[in-house]
Amino acid sequence: MLPGQSPRLGVVPIRTRGLVRRITPFVGIAAVFAVAVATGAPALLAFPLFLLAVLTVSLFDDTRQLLAVGGAASLAILIITVTQLGPASNLATALFEIAVLGIVATSVHEVVRQAKLAEENAERKAVEIESIDERLRLTLEAALIGLGLVSADGHWVQINERLAGMLGHDRDELLHANLSNVVAETDRQHVEDALAQLGRREIMRWESDVQLDGAAETHIPVSLVIAAVSDHHPSEPLLLVQATDISARKRIDGMREALVAVRQVIVTANSWDQAAPALLGSFCTNLGWDLAQHWTVEADRHDLRLQSTWHREGSNLEDFNDPARNLSIELGGGLVGRVWQSGVAAAMDDLAGNDYEQASAERRVGLRSAVAFPVISAGTTIGVIELLGGQVHHVDDELITMLSTAGVEIGQFIQRCDTAQALRRSEADHRAIYERSPIGIARVNGEGELLEANSALLHMLEHDVDAMRSQAWPDLVRAYDQAAGRARLAPLLAGIPDQRSLQVRAATGSGRWLWLQMTATSIPDSSGRPEHLLVMVEDVTTVRETQDKLAEALDSQRGANATLEKLDRTKTEFLSIVSHEFRTALTGIQGFSELIRDGGIEPDEVRAYGGYIFNDADRVNRLIGDMLDLDRMESGRMSIRLADVDINDVLSDVITRASSGSAVLVDFKSDLDPRLPIVTGDRDRLVQVVSNLVNNAVKYSPDGGLITLSTRAEGGYALVSITDSGLGIPPEEIGHVFERFRRVRSGAAQAIPGTGLGLTIVKQIVEMHGGKIWVESAVGHGSAFHFTIPLAAEHATPQHING
Amino acid sequence: MDGAGSSMVLVADDNEVAQRLCRRVLEKAGYGVLIAADGLQAVDLALAQNPNVILMDVAMPGMDGLEAMRRIKAERPEMRIVIASAHSMASDRERFLAAGADDVLSKPFRLGDLVAVVQRLTAKPSA
Repeated sequence: MLPGQSPRLGVVPIRTRGLVRRITPFVGIAAVFAVAVATGAPALLAFPLFLLAVLTVSLFDDTRQLLAVGGAASLAILIITVTQLGPASNLATALFEIAVLGIVATSVHEVVRQAKLAEENAERKAVEIESIDERLRLTLEAALIGLGLVSADGHWVQINERLAGMLGHDRDELLHANLSNVVAETDRQHVEDALAQLGRREIMRWESDVQLDGAAETHIPVSLVIAAVSDHHPSEPLLLVQATDISARKRIDGMREALVAVRQVIVTANSWDQAAPALLGSFCTNLGWDLAQHWTVEADRHDLRLQSTWHREGSNLEDFNDPARNLSIELGGGLVGRVWQSGVAAAMDDLAGNDYEQASAERRVGLRSAVAFPVISAGTTIGVIELLGGQVHHVDDELITMLSTAGVEIGQFIQRCDTAQALRRSEADHRAIYERSPIGIARVNGEGELLEANSALLHMLEHDVDAMRSQAWPDLVRAYDQAAGRARLAPLLAGIPDQRSLQVRAATGSGRWLWLQMTATSIPDSSGRPEHLLVMVEDVTTVRETQDKLAEALDSQRGANATLEKLDRTKTEFLSIVSHEFRTALTGIQGFSELIRDGGIEPDEVRAYGGYIFNDADRVNRLIGDMLDLDRMESGRMSIRLADVDINDVLSDVITRASSGSAVLVDFKSDLDPRLPIVTGDRDRLVQVVSNLVNNAVKYSPDGGLITLSTRAEGGYALVSITDSGLGIPPEEIGHVFERFRRVRSGAAQAIPGTGLGLTIVKQIVEMHGGKIWVESAVGHGSAFHFTIPLAAEHATPQHING
Repeated sequence: MDGAGSSMVLVADDNEVAQRLCRRVLEKAGYGVLIAADGLQAVDLALAQNPNVILMDVAMPGMDGLEAMRRIKAERPEMRIVIASAHSMASDRERFLAAGADDVLSKPFRLGDLVAVVQRLTAKPSA
């Protein structure tokens, strides 16, 4: 085999042809040589034939053969020349011929070789271009993104399999179409504008996220880049189209946006009712669902109720999605019921497989897939949110995870809403209490200034807010602090919590005085320091007055009790005294009558004893009489018979009777006013009064004592005075002389007999007449009893003295 | 009666009728009788005359019978004292015995009772 042969030449025929081609020039040269030698023809004649052979060989790009053929031809020329002519004469011609032969062969060979080289180069270039093309094609095909070339008018020039697959069309089919044909209608104009701009070289690159129409009416979100291919023929610019399927990214973005939207709604909404439509809507729009339903667990936990819903505008889902349908789902029933039961999100790619009755309704309105996730609060499923769509959705783990997260966040939100609602309700309650409380409530700052006063307080104190703030409240605080000082409590502004209440006196706007009960409570801020004071003010005037009255009543009751006790004691004492008096009297009566009865005594003894018996019996009789009188007078059963009475006459009568007593050793002196008008009274009773006083005076007077009786008119009354120079009444006794059995027992007076009822009866009689009785006395100097009796009406002077 | 002749009874009473009655009855029974009209007098006579028995009223002016008895007993614990009082409720009797009385005689009394109580107390030998 000869070098330089192309491997592409045929093996056997080419080899045979080569052999023929290589041998043929030698055969030709040998034939010419033989003829020339044989005929003796000059070499000059054979030369053109040799030149022809060398020329022919030189046309082939075979240097070695050319050298061999050229050598052979040169040798033949030399031999012919030498053999036929004298070598010296024709040798120069032969050499010239050989040189021409060499030059021609070399030149032709070079030309041929150059042509060959040029051809080889061209051929190599073609092969190279072919392989670059292939690599580009492979690259296009191998690219993970959709790639294609379009002409300036948008016609596909080239398109890779991925892009074709992405679009769901055959590549050949697409090559007849235009780029804008595969762009979704919404983005089409946008892309056409871009192509126009690129075509005019106004821009070199355009990029945007657009939707492409996929097979089966689907949309594929892609990131589309169109770039001018720079080194192409300027008259026919090509554009590189790069389409990256971003549906996965879009889905992730959708989920993220849905979650962000959920959080945004949660942050801005105040209540679940307010948040629900926006939340459900953001799930649908961000995740590509058509309808959302929120089911809540009923309080008795028997079933789920449809609480709130959302559906895409313009759909036929309105009726289906109406919460007023009052749908309920049992535990474990259908997708929603199962999610409730398990507490785990679940999906149904195709509702055709759902056996729950709800599903048939869903299928009727064209819903084909669903996903449901629990709303969880404090570990308990409190509701389920279901998303439904008209398309068959592929629900992957990421979506389930995202929805489960959202479910927990919504649950927390609902719980916060409930808490907030409870708090608002409690605030409202407090506000209502504050506003409508019958108790006055004031909020006071750390300086004691009134921040707020409820209407009850303003009403109570009859002030408007300004007057209350500027005047009434500071007054009240001062009053409170004074009361606190007295009670040894902290002042109001010390803000001691749970301070005891204090009662203060305060004037209202209209000048009424009230008793107010003030109770201060300090309200701490979040750090526990007192932030402000709440002062409750109650009008306790009525209570205080009632208390005062009650205290008064209690006092008087206590007094009455004391009186009753005293009466009881007096009664016991009375009985004891009376029985003592009776028994003392009876001692003589019984003893002496026993002596007389037993006999053996002298007649004058009998007389004397009879006298003792009579005296004691008389004493007993008087005692009984006095007691009965007193009882009648005290119980109001004794009446006095009023008539005109001359008091002077009564006094004279008594003096006459007293003086006539055998044992009387005193002197009487009368100082009676002769002009004394007559009085209105019961003469017998008045005699009883005067004689009682006179007898007392006599009893307590020493022998030879003087008893003075005087009368005079004074202010419509007759004033009667009976003055003795007797023992006198000790100061501690003088207030009691008119009480029953209050006989002066001290000193010599004890020896003086008496029933102890006389002065009590006297006082009763005087008072029954409308008069008064009193006594002046000094121990050792005697006593003066004075009493008044009203003058008869026609004599009464205008300056009437009452009681 | 014979034994009574040497015995002396002090009658302390502010009531003249009672004084006369007691003197008449006790003298008839053979006792010597001393009369005191109040408590102070009774104490003086008791301590001075040393009677065998004292018949003591309670309600007397000045010093009452119980005070007089206390004073006498303080000096002469053996002195026999009968409280003769018109205070004759049951509680009174207890009160008088508790105050140191040797016996209590309620007024009004039977004359026989007066003599009997004096006899009984004078029969006992004094300490």
